[in-house]
Amino acid sequence: MSVINVVGLTRDYGGGKGVFNLSFGVGEGTVFGFLGPNGAGKTTTIRHLMGFIRPQSGQCEISGMDCWRERDRIQTFLGYIPGEISFFDDMTGSDYLTFLAKYRGMKSEGRRKELLDRFELSPGGRIKKMSKGMKQKIGIVAAFMHDPEILILDEPTSGLDPLMQSRFIELIAEEKKRSKTIFMSSHMFGEVERTCGRIGIIRGGRLAAEDSAENLRERHVRRYTVGLDDEEKAAAFAKDFEGAREGKRVTVSARQSLEEIFMGFYGEDDDV
Amino acid sequence: MFKLNHIFNTTLYKREMGGSWRMLLIFAGIIAMYAGVVISMYEPGIEGMLAQLAEAIPELMAAVGMGGAPSDLTGFISSYLYGMLLLVFPMVYTILRANALVARYVDRGSMAGLLAAPVKRRSIALTQAGALATGIIIMIAFITILEAAVSEALFPGELDIGGIIALNSGLLCLHLFIGGICFLCSCIFSDAKHSAGLGAGIPAFMYILLMISNIGGAAENVKYATFFTLYNTEAILAGDPSGAAGAAILLAGAVPLFASGITVFSRKDLHV
Repeated sequence: MSVINVVGLTRDYGGGKGVFNLSFGVGEGTVFGFLGPNGAGKTTTIRHLMGFIRPQSGQCEISGMDCWRERDRIQTFLGYIPGEISFFDDMTGSDYLTFLAKYRGMKSEGRRKELLDRFELSPGGRIKKMSKGMKQKIGIVAAFMHDPEILILDEPTSGLDPLMQSRFIELIAEEKKRSKTIFMSSHMFGEVERTCGRIGIIRGGRLAAEDSAENLRERHVRRYTVGLDDEEKAAAFAKDFEGAREGKRVTVSARQSLEEIFMGFYGEDDDV
Repeated sequence: MFKLNHIFNTTLYKREMGGSWRMLLIFAGIIAMYAGVVISMYEPGIEGMLAQLAEAIPELMAAVGMGGAPSDLTGFISSYLYGMLLLVFPMVYTILRANALVARYVDRGSMAGLLAAPVKRRSIALTQAGALATGIIIMIAFITILEAAVSEALFPGELDIGGIIALNSGLLCLHLFIGGICFLCSCIFSDAKHSAGLGAGIPAFMYILLMISNIGGAAENVKYATFFTLYNTEAILAGDPSGAAGAAILLAGAVPLFASGITVFSRKDLHV
């Protein structure tokens, strides 16, 4: 049963920009990584899911509700990190988080304090003077503080240093254990590889591949069987190259990283 | 279950009124200074300095609505404040605030934070319209109190309070109408430049037409092309029903302008 359902979504901006007949589903409790080069349609897809823009054709549903018509109901159990963070510049970080909690109708501060501690953020200063990374952290706290069931994250780790990136990956892993459904676009193959159970690759507004992270890697494994002179050499070879030995024969596999797989899709001809 | 926040977000309203206060104080200061000086120039019974100025440069003074032969303090205030100052200054406030309340948030992307919450777009837009209208009402109320206080201090008993209240009720209708135009522009355009351009351009052009028609002669017919003509201070002070009718038309026009702004904002694509 898919929590996020996109069926035949089309939005043509002209000049090959937009998304075209995009269909995919994200099951409950799944972390879905949405990969694609710049301008592939990741943010356009997310804007549809958020109900910011209306599909030209096709439809998007979250928990059985239409993303455009029932957007405000969906938002009660959804957390969102925008791709381009922009807050009310005139406020301090704390004021903004307090404002958002009240604006959302939250009765308490929720997970705010715990999240601020986790990302070592003191939000007292004016947002205008904050670095990109600090703003990104405020965005993360804003998205998670009401403990939503579903998370839509548009390049959530951009601007974070490697330490904070791994803190974020820990957070995602914990939320996954708590069976949250997470839809995350990214450029960071490491974080997708470590967190996402399923992966969709978008190119030129079309879904180029969609599968479990495991299958996607499996599809791109090349195996070589090598015959060696004797079993002793075969055993040594198998040890050095992590192969499987069968008599004098050793099978080794060259496993592509997700990045290489992605670059393979990215590099394909443009005649899609 | 009825909840006020479903149609109007009080948290957002408080934030926006906080933003309006600073600007209202600046405008109140300027208006107080200018209006104080003008009222103090009233000389009962004899031709004052302003009347001499009107004789020296009649076309220019007529263009900004100054002239005639006011016989009492109320008429004097009506001629010298309601031709330009009290039309233009609140208008500038309205243009700036209307643009900041919707279009600028969309342009900068901070609208995303407001949309990613269980708050209907209709409610966001209605709240912003409410904040704009409240600011206009506060400014006109301030002007009324200021005129009464300065007049009573300098020329006790000379001001026709009923007349001033009637004048300012009409002025409120006029500025709510201008507010409606600016708000609609702010909701239509996602680019703050276009919103400000048209939101400022339309009222400014209409005011220029008023100035041209004030010069009289063949140009007088231009008055039929500008909504400022509907605010007829002479008719209001004389108790002529056309004065109240004009103000009523302006107020009646403001309602659909604000309503269409809210509807446009609720239906349009927001690329934030």
